Amino acid sequence: MRDLSERALDAASAAGASYADCRIINSTVQRLTVKNGVVASVEVFEDEGIGIRVIAGGAWGFAGVDDLSPASIEETARHAVSIAKASSRVNRIPVRLAPAPALVGEFRTPVVRDPFEVSLDDKVDLLMRTDEAMSHLAQIRVRECSLEFGREIKHFASSDGARLDQIIIESGGGLDATATSDDEVQTRSFPNSFGRHQVRAGWEAIEAFDLPGNAGRIAEEAVALLTAAECPAGTMTVILDATQAALQVHESCGHPTELDRVLGHEAAYAGTSFLTPDLLGTFRYGSEQVTMTADSTRAPGLGTFGWDDEGVAAQRSVLVDRGLFTGYLSSRETAEAIGQVSNGCMRADGWGRLPIIRMTNINLEPGTSSLEEMIATTDHGVYLETNRSWSIDDRRLNFQFGTQNGWEIVDGKRVRLVRNPIYSGQTPEFWGSCDAVAGPAEWQMFGVVNCGKGQPSQLMHVGHGAAPCRFRNVRVEPAR
Amino acid sequence: MSSGEALLELGDRALASLSHGEAEVIISETRSELTRFAGNEIHQSVAERFRHVRVRLIDAGRTGVGEVRGHDDHAITLAFAAAEDSRRVTAESEVSPLPRPTPGDGDTPVAFAEATADATPQSRAELVSIVTDEAAAHRVNAYGALSTTTTTTAVVTSAGLRRSATATQASLVSVARGDDGGGYASRHSADIDALDVPALAAEVVDTCERNQGATAIGPGDYEVILSPYAVTDLLEHLSWGGFSALAVQEHRSFMRFGEKLMSDMITIRDDARTPEIFPFPFDDEGVSTRPVTLIDRGVCAAVVYDTPTALHDEVASTGHSLPQPNTWGPLPRHVAMDAGETPWRDMAGSVSRGLYITRFWYVRDVHPLRTVITGMTREGTFLIENGSITRPVKDLRFTQSIVEALASVVQVSRERRLELGEGESGVLSPWLHIGRFSFTS
Repeated sequence: MRDLSERALDAASAAGASYADCRIINSTVQRLTVKNGVVASVEVFEDEGIGIRVIAGGAWGFAGVDDLSPASIEETARHAVSIAKASSRVNRIPVRLAPAPALVGEFRTPVVRDPFEVSLDDKVDLLMRTDEAMSHLAQIRVRECSLEFGREIKHFASSDGARLDQIIIESGGGLDATATSDDEVQTRSFPNSFGRHQVRAGWEAIEAFDLPGNAGRIAEEAVALLTAAECPAGTMTVILDATQAALQVHESCGHPTELDRVLGHEAAYAGTSFLTPDLLGTFRYGSEQVTMTADSTRAPGLGTFGWDDEGVAAQRSVLVDRGLFTGYLSSRETAEAIGQVSNGCMRADGWGRLPIIRMTNINLEPGTSSLEEMIATTDHGVYLETNRSWSIDDRRLNFQFGTQNGWEIVDGKRVRLVRNPIYSGQTPEFWGSCDAVAGPAEWQMFGVVNCGKGQPSQLMHVGHGAAPCRFRNVRVEPAR
Repeated sequence: MSSGEALLELGDRALASLSHGEAEVIISETRSELTRFAGNEIHQSVAERFRHVRVRLIDAGRTGVGEVRGHDDHAITLAFAAAEDSRRVTAESEVSPLPRPTPGDGDTPVAFAEATADATPQSRAELVSIVTDEAAAHRVNAYGALSTTTTTTAVVTSAGLRRSATATQASLVSVARGDDGGGYASRHSADIDALDVPALAAEVVDTCERNQGATAIGPGDYEVILSPYAVTDLLEHLSWGGFSALAVQEHRSFMRFGEKLMSDMITIRDDARTPEIFPFPFDDEGVSTRPVTLIDRGVCAAVVYDTPTALHDEVASTGHSLPQPNTWGPLPRHVAMDAGETPWRDMAGSVSRGLYITRFWYVRDVHPLRTVITGMTREGTFLIENGSITRPVKDLRFTQSIVEALASVVQVSRERRLELGEGESGVLSPWLHIGRFSFTS
C-alpha cells in the first residue's frame, strides 16, 4: 500500500497540489440473515480503492477510484488537482488548516476472537436457534435475525509526512419479532432496533448479546403489545432506557456539535445548528446531571480508532460539562475557523468519499442513580424502551421520538405495558429537565449504523455510551 | 467507462466458468461527480469511479451471494468464490428461480444524455456560479450541490437473460439563507443542459427573501397547500410502507384492495417509461419494469412485485425487484401522482386561512400501518389569509396520516415537478391543496 500512496502523493504534488493526503482501503463485510426459519441471505462484500484529497489554488479537490494500478492512481491524483483548480476559479477565500503533527503508527481493534475466523456454519446455527426461539407464537408473522461483521484495512499518508495503518474490526447482530392482528402491527427488537447492535469488537460481543436466550422474551413482548393499552397522553415524567438515551444523545447533542454544520457547510442538506460559536462556554445546554463527551479512545464503540481520516489522533473531549456547552466535533479546517485545533472527527464512508466531520463515540457520562431508583421515585410517568421513530429539525431543537413500547409508572411502580408511545420537546429544555442518570453499572456502549450526512450521502457507524436517564415534565402521547 | 455490451460480455465470460447450478451476474460501472457549495463558495468537489459486481449462485436449493467493488477481472473471480462460500452454508429451502427473458424486453427508453456524461468540474462550477452570483446579488448566501452521474448496468443469467443500459442523472439542489430565514429549490434531469439553473436561482432566492422574519403560529389543524417538494415525501413513504407486495403479504401495508381510501382526485402510478422520472427498462433481476396503477381515483388498486412475491401470489413479477435475495421486498422507483386541473398559482385563492409548505424535513414513520408520519417544515412556510400568501411563519412539526391527508384533498395542480426523495428515487408530484393537516408543535 505504501508504494501506491507515495505514487499518489507524488502525482498530486507534481500536478500542483500544495497539500495532499490519501487513504487506501481494503474492506470486507459479511452479512447473514435468517427470516421465518429460512436462511434469507448470506452475503460477502469485498471492496478496495483509493481516495485522494488535495488542496490546489487554495481549494479542495477529491477523487477516488477502485483501480489500484499505478497509471490509474496517477490519473486520479491529477483529476483531484484539476477539480480543486476548477473550484479555485470561483472561490475567494483560500482553505486554511489548523496545525496538526504528522504522525506515524499502527492501530488494530482489540478482539478476543476474530469474527472472520468463526465459521459461517456456526453463525448460521446461532441465527437458526434464535429464529426457532421466536417461532412458537402464532401472532408473530415476521421473524428476522441477522449478523454482520466488518474488517477495514486502511493506510493513510499525507504530504506532511503522516503514515498511518489501521485494522478495524466490527461485529453486530440483532433480532426483530413482528406481531400482527387485524388492526395492529407491533415490532420488538433486541438488543437494539434497526436490525442490529454493533460494536468494534470480536465474536465475543455476539456471544455476550445472547440472541437465542432473549428471542423468546422479545417475541412475547411483541404479541403483548397487540392488545396493550395506548400510551397515556399528557405532560409527565419520562425515563428512557439506555438504547433510547443513546439515540437522544445522537440527535440532540452529536449532530448539533458538528462544527461543519455550525459553519454552514451542511446547510443545504443535513442542516445547521443552534449551538453557535457565541454560545461556547456560556450556554446552559442541560442540567447539572448532564455531561457529554466525544471519546474515540473508548472501546468498543463504533467511533473508536487510532487516528481520524486526516491523521489526527484519537482523543477524548468534553462537549457538555455538567450542563454547560463546552466543545465541538471538529476538523483541521473548521477548527482553524474558530481558532482551535482539530479534535479528530474527520471520517469518510469508504475510500470513495471525502472525509467530513462525523461523530466518534458521543457519550452521556454515567451518573449516580439507577433505573430501579428512578422508577421507585416517580409518581406518574412512563419508562420507554427501544427506538421506533425519530425526527428532529434542521437546527436540532424540535424533536419527536417514538419507542417500541412503554411501561406506565404510578406511585413508584410499573403498572402496565403501553403501546405506540411518542414524546417530544425542545433540546435545551429537555436536557435541562434531566434529574437523574444511572451509574456505571447500567452504562453501555451502543452503536448507530445508519447515520446519514453529506452530499453525496455518506453512512457512518458511530458509537454512543449511555445509561437509563429521567426527565421531568415531558409531553407524551400515543401515535394516532 | 465500459459500454453495456462490454459488461454483458464480461458477464458471459464469468458464466462460462459455471460448472453446476444457476447463476446471475450483475455488473455496474459508475462515474459520479459532485460540486458542493456553501456561503457562495465551492467547499467540496469530488469524483468517484468504480465497478461493482454481484454474483448470485443457486444450486441444490441453496443460494449464495458475493459482491465485490473492484475494477479488474479478479473481482469477478472473488465474487464467485464469495457466493459459493455463502451458498454452501445456507440451509436448503424453496429458492426463488431466476427469471427468464420475455418478449418485448428492451422496448423501454433509458434516461441518457451525452452532456451529463461529459460534464467536467469546470462546467459544474460555471453552473454553480449562476446560483451563487444570483444569491450574492441579493445579499443572501447560497448552499447546495450539483451532481452528475453515469451508470452502466448489465444483468446476465444462466437462464438466458441479458440486459444492459447506460443512464445519466444531473441534480442541482440549493438552499439560500438570509439573516433570518431561507428558501429551497431543486431541479433534476437526465440531461444537465436541460436543468433550468437561472429559474432555480430565481426561485430559491425569491423564497428566501419572502421567508425573512418569520413569526410563530400555534400548532393545530390547518388547511395546507403542499409544494411538490413536500408531496414527494408523502408518496415516498407510501411507497416504502404500502405499495410493496411483501408488505401486503406480511400484513404491514395500509392497502385494502378495492376500497376507496383517498380522494377520487388522487391517482398514483409507477411507470418506468415516464420521461421525466429517469426512464429505465429493467429491475435488479433483469425483469422488464411494467407500469402499475397503485391508487386509481382514490381506490387501492395494485402493488408492485418481484419474483419471490409474485410466486407467492401466483402472478407475474411487475419488474420492481431490488437485488435478490432480500428481506425488504419490491419497491416502486418511478412514482408519479396524476396532475389535476388547477394552476398551482391559483390554489391559494380558495383558502381563507391556511399554510403554504415549501418542503418537509426529517420525515419518519410513526405508525406505518396507519401511515402516520412526523417531520418538520423547512425553508419556506407561509401563512395564507383570505386567498393570498401573506407572511412567513416559523417552522412547525406535523404528525399526520398520509392516507387521511390524501382523503381530504381539495385541489390538485395541473403542473408537476420532479423531486428526489430521501431514498434518491425520482418522484413526480403536483401541488396539493389538502383540507386538513395536523401540526403538533
